[in-house]
Amino acid sequence: MTSAIEVRGLSKQFGSVRAVDDLSFEVAEGRVTGFLGPNGSGKTTTLRMLLGLVSITDGAATFGGRRYDQLEHPVRHVGAALEATSFHPGRRARDHLKTVALASRIPMSRVDETLDIVGLTDVARRRVGKFSLGMRQRLQLATALLGDPEILILDEPANGLDPQGIQWLRTFIRDQAALGHAVLVSSHLLSEMEETVDDVVIISQGRLVLETTLADMAAQAGTGTGMRIRTPEIQRLAQALNAIPVGWRQIAPDSLVIDGATPEWFGPFAAQHQIVLYELVNERGSLEDVFLRLTHGFDAPTPGGGQPAPFHTPGAPS
Amino acid sequence: MTAVVRSEWVKLRTTSVPWVLTGIALLITGLSVLLYFVSHGHSGGGPNGPGSDVGFGPPHPGYPHTVQQLRDLLGTGLGTYVFSLLLGVLMITTEFRHKTVTTSFLVTPRRPVFVAGKLVLAALAGAVLAVIVLGATLVGAGIALSAKGGSFSALAHQLGAVAPGMVLVFVLFALLGVGVGSLITNQVAAIIICLGWFLILENIIQGLWNWTAKWLPSGAAAAAANVTAGRRDATFGLFNWWQGSLLILAYGLVFAVIGSLVLARRDIT
Repeated sequence: MTSAIEVRGLSKQFGSVRAVDDLSFEVAEGRVTGFLGPNGSGKTTTLRMLLGLVSITDGAATFGGRRYDQLEHPVRHVGAALEATSFHPGRRARDHLKTVALASRIPMSRVDETLDIVGLTDVARRRVGKFSLGMRQRLQLATALLGDPEILILDEPANGLDPQGIQWLRTFIRDQAALGHAVLVSSHLLSEMEETVDDVVIISQGRLVLETTLADMAAQAGTGTGMRIRTPEIQRLAQALNAIPVGWRQIAPDSLVIDGATPEWFGPFAAQHQIVLYELVNERGSLEDVFLRLTHGFDAPTPGGGQPAPFHTPGAPS
Repeated sequence: MTAVVRSEWVKLRTTSVPWVLTGIALLITGLSVLLYFVSHGHSGGGPNGPGSDVGFGPPHPGYPHTVQQLRDLLGTGLGTYVFSLLLGVLMITTEFRHKTVTTSFLVTPRRPVFVAGKLVLAALAGAVLAVIVLGATLVGAGIALSAKGGSFSALAHQLGAVAPGMVLVFVLFALLGVGVGSLITNQVAAIIICLGWFLILENIIQGLWNWTAKWLPSGAAAAAANVTAGRRDATFGLFNWWQGSLLILAYGLVFAVIGSLVLARRDIT
């Protein structure tokens, strides 16, 4: 597995704020890497440093060993769709792509091809000012895809998309990875990305919190799971459980949770003690729980005076 | 580089900026030509003032009649170099206003190359604007002149003397515009500063200290275009055409270089 993007000790200082602090991670070819963190955790700043839009205070970010600005016709290697990128409202969608294609010596046939991929062929000659947010997102993706790059960087691409759009985006991202491309996709919602990513890089307050595979993270989430049971005979069940070495806690007058229990174990156990059950639920910790636990507290407002968190101070992008 | 310039051309022509600016420049040129004929129509005086040739000497065939006057008439639209300047300014500031600069820098991460592409296209666009303004002046003034009994061909004959200077000035000011725009990326601020300078400040400075005239951009423009007559400050002496050209070029390059350096360090968030 070769890494397409390598980030080493990346840091960014905005005035007195350390927006990104000694961040290191890798993005592998043929895989989708979720770049996750709460709002204001430094995701966008990191991506913009990778792409040479924001100057690097310390460290390095490279694509196959080369800085972004050292790449020959970079959009043919790295396609980026960033938040807060905009279009000239008076320019037609096709003309926008044409400006990018001309500067990077990409054939015009690719412009129409890309419009087709993102489903904007019908509105190619419409002015972008008339586009909906979802259409702009698609045009953004088209811009990223134009150079048929082997690396894609997408910053919160699901923002502004309707449920069908999000479904389309997931398929699109998976297809890209299937082609052997590396995809780095940022989001502040893990749930949005759960079905799409292979690897996760989680940051909080500009620092790396976790870099692992989604499978690993799911395993972590799995620990601390149990079964939730609702029964009219809660006293008898409690007595039965107390007789064996198992942890449990009551969560409602008629419900309790048994740590680490499985239906295969609990079913026969309940039958043996002849306990009536109303409900039997396998309770697994979700990835979102792990995500929130890892980034816990950092997204909350700082105590005192209701001041926003440090990352929202003027001068620092959110 | 040619790829970047071609891309810039598509960027420019797909906005209303060049068309609106050209339109205004033509309108102002047209009004200036009209004003010229109205004010010089019946007084019997040339640009040297009313009465300068009344009662003495032979009657003249029409207005204007001297070579210099014909050249001045052709150069009526020179003042619209301000629109060439604005064209340069808008080529850069529009990118910041609409945040298209993010895409531009992704495509061309070497920012001096980005500025260079703008400079080349601005120079070409400035030259085209000069030719359009000059062509419109020739047609408009030529027709008015013929109607007053003057010679259209006499006017057209002076084209070769006026055109090079005019094109040069428009090109140089377009470059200056790109320089100013790359330094002051806020569109509204850049436009206000440019107009404020050329319409108000420069006149004040020139009025207070006459000797500054030849050093100021409009004085340098007049020198570069070799159109001096009729200018209030002409008597204080201007540079010759190449000195004036070098001066504007220097202004433009200073802004472009400082602008490039500032732009290169700028975080695009």
